[in-house]
Amino acid sequence: MSEREQGEAREKSKLIDEQLAALIAGGSVAVFFIWYWSGQIQSVIELLRLAYG
Amino acid sequence: MPASLLGPYTRTILVAAVLAATLAFALSGARVEVHTSLLPVFEWMETTWFGYIGKTWGAAFATVEAVHLLGLALLGGSVLVAEGRLLGVFLTDTDQGVITARCNRTFNIALATLVATGVFMACGVALKIYYLPVYWYKMLALGGGASFHYLVRQPLVERGPGEVNPWLLKLIAVASIMVWFTVAATGRWIGFSG
Repeated sequence: MSEREQGEAREKSKLIDEQLAALIAGGSVAVFFIWYWSGQIQSVIELLRLAYG
Repeated sequence: MPASLLGPYTRTILVAAVLAATLAFALSGARVEVHTSLLPVFEWMETTWFGYIGKTWGAAFATVEAVHLLGLALLGGSVLVAEGRLLGVFLTDTDQGVITARCNRTFNIALATLVATGVFMACGVALKIYYLPVYWYKMLALGGGASFHYLVRQPLVERGPGEVNPWLLKLIAVASIMVWFTVAATGRWIGFSG
């Protein structure tokens, strides 16, 4: 493999690494928000039911 | 740690490790131990010059708080514009690279302002915030947000057009907005507590 091809392979591997890291970090943030706000909204709905039937 | 030890997916492994460590820390008794061990630091903060000025000179505290809020507005603005462009909502007729670079400069200034004014304000009310759970949530969101911005988001958005999966860019934009709104919301929550 030539030096240029090795450089391209390294760059491609780096891009995949950066994209995977972003997918894990971004996905975790999104999942946490959905879980947190679902719980919060659910508890407010229950509170409103207790207060107003 | 040498990157070569982790192979070609160093960043991915580190991100997963940090997330796992954060989760383990949050769910374990170590959280309480660390919280207890930090009390002397917060007691000391109140005895510093910043602490005395913050506690005794209301006008100075209010002025610094105003600058803190302006920094927050600047940071929120730069995040909304940059992420709005990534989502294809704002300024779609301008090159994404130009918007990203300019917003990042603004973001850096805003974050530096927030940290500088935040340290001063924290010294003035150190023991109050020490006992507020929401302060620690804010610090977690701030640390996570800054790490996400510089170590995960920036390397991808600085790449040329078409190199990165567009749906991934949109996910990053949404996650970034969520994290920085959490920082802003928890900051205001501190203001309303106690």
